[in-house]
Amino acid sequence: MIFFESLYIKVFVNIVVGGTETLVYIESYSGKGVTSLREESFDTLRVNEKMATFIEKYADETPFCYVSVLDYSPSQGAIPTCSKNKISEYRDMSDSEYKCQDSKWTNYTSKTDLYETQRHYQEIGVDFIFSPFSVLAHFFKDKIDGRVAAFVLVEEDFISFAVFSKSELLYARRMAMKSDHIMEEFDASDATMDLDLDLDIDDAIDLDSVNVSDDMDSLDDFGDIEDLDSLEDIDEFSESQDVEEEFYQETDEELEQEDDESFSEDYQRFSLVQSSISAFYKDDKYESEFLENIYIADAVGVTGELKRYFEEEMYMNAYVRRISLGAEVSELARLEVLS
Amino acid sequence: MKYSYIKPRAKNAITPEVKLVLTFFGMTLLMILFTYAFLLFKDYAFERDLSEIKRDSASVKIKLTQMKEQIVFIEKENALAQGVQTRNLVLKDSITNLFDLVPSRITLSQAKLDKNSLILQGVTPNKDVYNFMLQAPLRSIFHRTYSSFYPTENGWLSFVSTNYIDEESSTQEEEPISEN
Repeated sequence: MIFFESLYIKVFVNIVVGGTETLVYIESYSGKGVTSLREESFDTLRVNEKMATFIEKYADETPFCYVSVLDYSPSQGAIPTCSKNKISEYRDMSDSEYKCQDSKWTNYTSKTDLYETQRHYQEIGVDFIFSPFSVLAHFFKDKIDGRVAAFVLVEEDFISFAVFSKSELLYARRMAMKSDHIMEEFDASDATMDLDLDLDIDDAIDLDSVNVSDDMDSLDDFGDIEDLDSLEDIDEFSESQDVEEEFYQETDEELEQEDDESFSEDYQRFSLVQSSISAFYKDDKYESEFLENIYIADAVGVTGELKRYFEEEMYMNAYVRRISLGAEVSELARLEVLS
Repeated sequence: MKYSYIKPRAKNAITPEVKLVLTFFGMTLLMILFTYAFLLFKDYAFERDLSEIKRDSASVKIKLTQMKEQIVFIEKENALAQGVQTRNLVLKDSITNLFDLVPSRITLSQAKLDKNSLILQGVTPNKDVYNFMLQAPLRSIFHRTYSSFYPTENGWLSFVSTNYIDEESSTQEEEPISEN
């Protein structure tokens, strides 16, 4: 059977839902490596005929077609332990599916949302569902094993925030940019669906309720942190660059063209991350360490303002690296299949 | 399953197309194997028949030799039979001639014919009848002729005539004939 399998190419179909679009990223893989890749966006959150035709066109090439979906459940997150005894200290996992990563930390998601995701894609079938935190950890695998740093995955509707120190997860949080409209749209498009989605709205943050001034007040607590004095060694945050990083640098012209909405969204993202950092510092459950660096995986095209917010308002070294979620999900799928 | 929440669906490398190809090649292979087995069997049967034929051939050769020997023997027997028949014919003629030689006035009581001799016993009215009518022809045939007489009660004479043909003389007489 392995002999037959080696004769076939493997097709990885990767589905990433964001905003009002669904990105389908397809990679064909043979023993020599990736032989071809296709990417197409569809203005739908469900599998319509056009999307199904597009996927089946490549899926029919081989029996070894793996469909991966990036989990878009708002009720997901990660906790800094794999011990079943300690997991309950952070969260009640009775309604959640969870998976230990590297025997160090655990990512989880709602079982209901997991089944719902599988049901949504039952027409084409689903082989893998990945957590954004797995994507984030894999994308910054060269950084998470170093000193303590914050890592952010910026998606269209969600922000996944995590703090890693020497590959150990210290804190993680999943935040919704807007209301949980993705699941709502799924509900709206499937009127016959009686499934009661268990949306953990408590974990999502309604931007309307975010009081930036309150969060800014919380930053006053930073004054109590002695390590902040070491920031004096850092001359210009805006000039901080890591040569290993692929920066997303925008030209001044591009900055001028960006509209206020983009700045507003970036400020919202900054605010969410800022509140998460504040929660990380304040929550006694988590082992807090002072964060100097923040690594941002940008899947939507943030403006340079986001980087500037972190540098000027939180005195952090911010590094922005563009990420193709489809490619990253595909890489995880490859790791699952080929390892 | 390192990262995914769910396990992938089972993948089957044997697609309907592969099944069709495998079936085709399988049947072809089976046919080749069947043909090979058939040829092996036929080869075995041929070898078996060949050995049987060789064995039969050897047997037939032995029988042929025996039959040739039998033919030679039968031919010899036939020649011998023909010789005996010829001799019997000659003997029959000789006996017929012998009895033709005996005149009516002489009565034979015993005749003993041998290869080179003839012994006659009988009665004759007198010696003259015997000498002129029987002994004269016998002497022309045999090399040596001996006669003895003794009287009977009725006045006739019983006689015993012993006649011999000499072997050497008969051979010498036959040689010129065989040369001719």
